[in-house]
Amino acid sequence: MTSALRVFVFLSIAVPGYAHHEFQTFVQAHSGRPVNCAMCHTSADGPEGTGPGQIGSLDELERERLNRARAAFDPSPVVDSPILNDFGNLIVARLGKRRILELRSNPAVLATELGNESDLDRDGIPDAREYLEGTHPLMRHHGAPLSLFAHELRANAFHVVMLGLATIITLYGLISILRGFALKMQAAANAEDH
Amino acid sequence: MGTTLEPRSKRVARFVRERFPIEKLDAQSMIVKKEVPLHKMSWAYYMGGLALFFLLVQIVTGLLLLFYYQPTVSDAHASVATISEHISGGAWIRNLHAWSASAMILTVIVHLFTTFAMKAFAAPRELTWVSGMSLALLVFAFGFTGYLLPWNQIAVNATKVGLQSVEAIGQYLPGELARWPIYVRETIQGEPSVGQATLSRFFAIHVIVLPLLTVGALGVHLLQVQIHGMSRGVDALKVKTEKFFPFFVIKDLSVWGVAFFVVAVVAMCLPFDAFLPYPLLEPYNPLGSTPDGIKPEWYFFFVYYPLELLPYWAVIAGSTVVGGALFLAPWIFARTTRRTLTVLAVAGALYFVVITLFGHAIYEALKGGTP
Repeated sequence: MTSALRVFVFLSIAVPGYAHHEFQTFVQAHSGRPVNCAMCHTSADGPEGTGPGQIGSLDELERERLNRARAAFDPSPVVDSPILNDFGNLIVARLGKRRILELRSNPAVLATELGNESDLDRDGIPDAREYLEGTHPLMRHHGAPLSLFAHELRANAFHVVMLGLATIITLYGLISILRGFALKMQAAANAEDH
Repeated sequence: MGTTLEPRSKRVARFVRERFPIEKLDAQSMIVKKEVPLHKMSWAYYMGGLALFFLLVQIVTGLLLLFYYQPTVSDAHASVATISEHISGGAWIRNLHAWSASAMILTVIVHLFTTFAMKAFAAPRELTWVSGMSLALLVFAFGFTGYLLPWNQIAVNATKVGLQSVEAIGQYLPGELARWPIYVRETIQGEPSVGQATLSRFFAIHVIVLPLLTVGALGVHLLQVQIHGMSRGVDALKVKTEKFFPFFVIKDLSVWGVAFFVVAVVAMCLPFDAFLPYPLLEPYNPLGSTPDGIKPEWYFFFVYYPLELLPYWAVIAGSTVVGGALFLAPWIFARTTRRTLTVLAVAGALYFVVITLFGHAIYEALKGGTP
């Protein structure tokens, strides 16, 4: 039996869903934010069970995809496990399952090894940083507020300038109308006095 | 002294006549001749208008959200996600609704403290004050009912806690009164647990009942402000003034413009949801356990943290006394000086700021762990 097959058999029996709580525990302690399995898995309750995105609910094709993903012990270009979300699949593809298992004793290193290139939700915050900060790497509207604000401000600079101009022009118009009314009222009052 | 006791009916008639003087119910008195005092607290006169502006933003953005929002437990969360992720400008409108709601409540609170400190409730402005207090309550009710609508984990679980708090009041009431809070909770909730009936009722209250009540209270409030003008606000006998129209209106409008720009940019660049842990934003799961970190919105922290730290009866008794005193301020504080009122207002504002910003830390320091 090859070592890879031995690991596969062990994992299939001992940890059928590959839910590695060490990472979740680390992220919560490091970020101070509550997180759950939905950071990497399809289901917020993890891979075990019969709910949507859990092993018990998979059809034949999805089980085949799962088995192919389970064999990704080393980094590979594409991993497409139905029980993992895009971020979970990215981690397996980049690091391989063997390395993930090794990192369970040092979950902080996962961020370093993932690198800063990937930003799956395109919110301007690298996935590895979102992992450390306990925010969701696949939710565009979720991230560390200041980082998110800085990125969106840069991305929407044109809209912000146009919004500013529109506000100034509208105010100028409204104030001119009010001044016009005031002048007309003053003129009417003066005429009445005469 | 020779004063004779006036019959109650005459006193009531006189009270109403003085609050709604027919001779002042025209554009000349309410707009053209109206003057606004100028002094070091003049900035506070813009708070009411600002709150009104944020309410208008709420109405416009709320109407736009209504086009896509589905008030059913099966579709509410998905429809909100659709608005945020697939509708053009949807995320901005939704964020604008959320941010301007918070801005409105903050402005209302500042308005409450400043008008209290300036003794703006003194006769003949009692109705201005009482209608304003009613509006403040309505604004909080808007916040409470709107919180449930996205039907996510924090929305439903926080609403459950809120409704349980209402029911718990019953244990301190005598006899048949003890059951009233239960009736209130059951009426609002609509079924044994928070579910479709609750969502339907909260939705109806949020988009129909509260807006109608607000229109009524706001009508009285604005009419009273225009009839009686802004209160002098300071003890000085001679205060400079400026014309309400056009000078104050133009300044008010400029403040609105700046406020709109700020809140619009914040809504564009900073999603309101970013401040919450993502597990709390997932669709509500009735079979799952309650996730960590369930809290009300920040503007309820002033009552939430005391509820977590102190005996329930103490918080309810304190809230009743403070709330009652605020509503009846024109009569309770009729003879209180502005200096004393300012001290009370500053103390209240300090409490609000400290408990809102540091409530969590205070809880951790006193009890350990998180509430």
